[in-house]
Amino acid sequence: MQRPCNVTPLTVPGVTTPSQVDLDPGRDYPLAARRPELLKTPTGKRIDELTMEAVLAGEVAPEDLRIAPETLRLQARIAEQSGRPQLAQNFRRAAELTALPDELVLSIYNSLRPRASTKQQLTDIADELESAYSATLCAALVREAADVYERRNILAS
Amino acid sequence: MTTSARRSKRTEALEQRPVNLDGFVEEWPEVGMVAMDSPYDPEPGVRVENGVIVELDGKPRAEFDFLDQFIADHAIDVEATEQAMAIPAVDIAHLLIDPRATRKDVLAVSRGLTPAKLLEVVKTMNVVEMMMALQKMRARRTPANQAHATSARDNPVQVAADAAEASLRGFRELETTLGVVRYAPLVAIALQVGAQAGTPGVLTQCALEEATELELGMRGITAYAETISVYGTEPVFCDGDDTPWSKAFLASAYASRGIKMRFTSGTGSEVQMGNAEGKSMLYLEIRCILVTKGAGVQGLQNGSISCIGVPGAVPAGIRAVLAENLIASMVDLECASGNDQSFSHSDMRRVARLLPQLLPGTDFVCSGYSSTPNYDNMFAGSNVDAEDYDDWNVLQRDLQVDGGLRHVPEAELLAVRNRAARALQGVFAHLGLPPITDKEIEAVTYAHGSKDLPPRDVLEDLKAAQSVMDRGVTGLDIVKGLDAAGFTDMAHSLLAVLRQRVSGDLLHTSAILTPELETLSAVNDTNDYAGPGTGYRPSGARWEEMKRLRHVVSAQNPEQEVG
Repeated sequence: MQRPCNVTPLTVPGVTTPSQVDLDPGRDYPLAARRPELLKTPTGKRIDELTMEAVLAGEVAPEDLRIAPETLRLQARIAEQSGRPQLAQNFRRAAELTALPDELVLSIYNSLRPRASTKQQLTDIADELESAYSATLCAALVREAADVYERRNILAS
Repeated sequence: MTTSARRSKRTEALEQRPVNLDGFVEEWPEVGMVAMDSPYDPEPGVRVENGVIVELDGKPRAEFDFLDQFIADHAIDVEATEQAMAIPAVDIAHLLIDPRATRKDVLAVSRGLTPAKLLEVVKTMNVVEMMMALQKMRARRTPANQAHATSARDNPVQVAADAAEASLRGFRELETTLGVVRYAPLVAIALQVGAQAGTPGVLTQCALEEATELELGMRGITAYAETISVYGTEPVFCDGDDTPWSKAFLASAYASRGIKMRFTSGTGSEVQMGNAEGKSMLYLEIRCILVTKGAGVQGLQNGSISCIGVPGAVPAGIRAVLAENLIASMVDLECASGNDQSFSHSDMRRVARLLPQLLPGTDFVCSGYSSTPNYDNMFAGSNVDAEDYDDWNVLQRDLQVDGGLRHVPEAELLAVRNRAARALQGVFAHLGLPPITDKEIEAVTYAHGSKDLPPRDVLEDLKAAQSVMDRGVTGLDIVKGLDAAGFTDMAHSLLAVLRQRVSGDLLHTSAILTPELETLSAVNDTNDYAGPGTGYRPSGARWEEMKRLRHVVSAQNPEQEVG
């Protein structure tokens, strides 16, 4: 089951986006302790609302214990400023994948295994990542894989 | 009687030594049976055109295999590479051991180095120099340790009790795996529960096939993942049913759920899997390290790991194992540095093999230390196990070196083992899983291994394990179960671990949770070693703790033990 999503970050006047927050790794990390006000679950809860009382009252669902794309983009900036560009890029790809259901993430992973997909199948996955989920970084990774797999002859025949 | 048939008494004595049960072989570079010095390893070199690496270690881009391409395009900093590659290898080695050069100074160079160049650098270094370098290059200032908690019968009650003991003894990460894979959900739950019974904030994982491991992580039944294997040649990578791209995607999948993960690799895996392409074990391992770096993964478990018998059998093999830990650290990755799978029959050799990681300190000195007797270790044994706890604590005290553990009096251990088992009993009852009897709890409190425990109804357990997956049980259900059974502190601690995935703080390099549930990583606990008198040194309360052993006598009264 694939469903489109609407979590693409939009710049709305008066709303701070991850790129606008003033962040300093030395001052602000770990975010949970130093900048909890920046952290929301994908369901819109504040991290300090995830209390034992709320869990026992049935007010916390497994979906509330997930990371939001905005948080991953904040952590990407911390990684970048700590001199870790690859880690930052991984967090940005991850931010895109927060919108995908678990089963779809697992199925794309399996499609990327050697000799699991034709070039067309990988291209279709990349197109869907981009069009349905605005996952441009992940789409680029899949397209790059498709090209390499073709050159190294590890596409499905 | 001829002299050749007659053996000396000394030879007979030596023949009986355990070290002669170990396997040793001659080098055979053509098939990759060589640790770090093969005539077939490429010469270092790089060529950049229009911001793209078009030649890597003597190979033109059109001939790149998929590892070359991934490393050239994702791991090596194109802006830095030509300048870094121009520095003679021996000068880079000097930078590594010179305390006046900071860790940051090294990273400015290492980000531009190719696999063959990294190999050339460590080939100029002996093991003492490598230890000096590792002391500075370890990412997290404070070293830590990881344990295995497994059971030959996959008994969840045992895993919970051993996890609790390991947690109390100081391990910050615990790993389990299975004999019967279908047992995984129950054993992973047991590990998670037991871990929180010792000290709060211990992170747990369950080593399984990649997709299953991810599923348990997504459900919050495990807290992190480690067995995401990468390999140093294209055919072996494909035999592992992955590519650098599938693994990079998997890395992002974990991060997208806020779950910490590291890759795994190690010298010897390619030759063991029959396709080393005539390269040295270390050259191939360096390619794995750079694939990890390029995938944007925060860390790596390496140090040969489950192939330790292979480098262990060839000349300078254990030097190569240290070199792989050093290279992971010098390219700014978290390093969980091996010292895990059984390695030698010789106690002397077991210790000699672990000192190069224990003395300088690594992010996790063992990955892991067996918290059970050897027969219960389902990772094919470990270099150090539960029967070595006292020896380990003495080594720490003798050398004033922090290997992450501490001596715990028996009464406290019994209490925590009992508590973990009772908590698991409560959680199983809450989740409608097969009952854990008071008899089992009593037995596991005092047990050493699975042989000391009453057998469980395996068929019922396996049915229940399937139901955990079918019903969609999550970490949150375990929290509720702990609370319902009256273990509110453990419920709080586990909720705190689960809440970490909302903040993503644990996704950073070398992150652990302290017993105070604070995140400690290379971002806020950066290794600041800069020569004598600097960096991490056990002191204060931690050193006082390290002084305690099972038997220490009072200075005033030699008849009295102060423990």
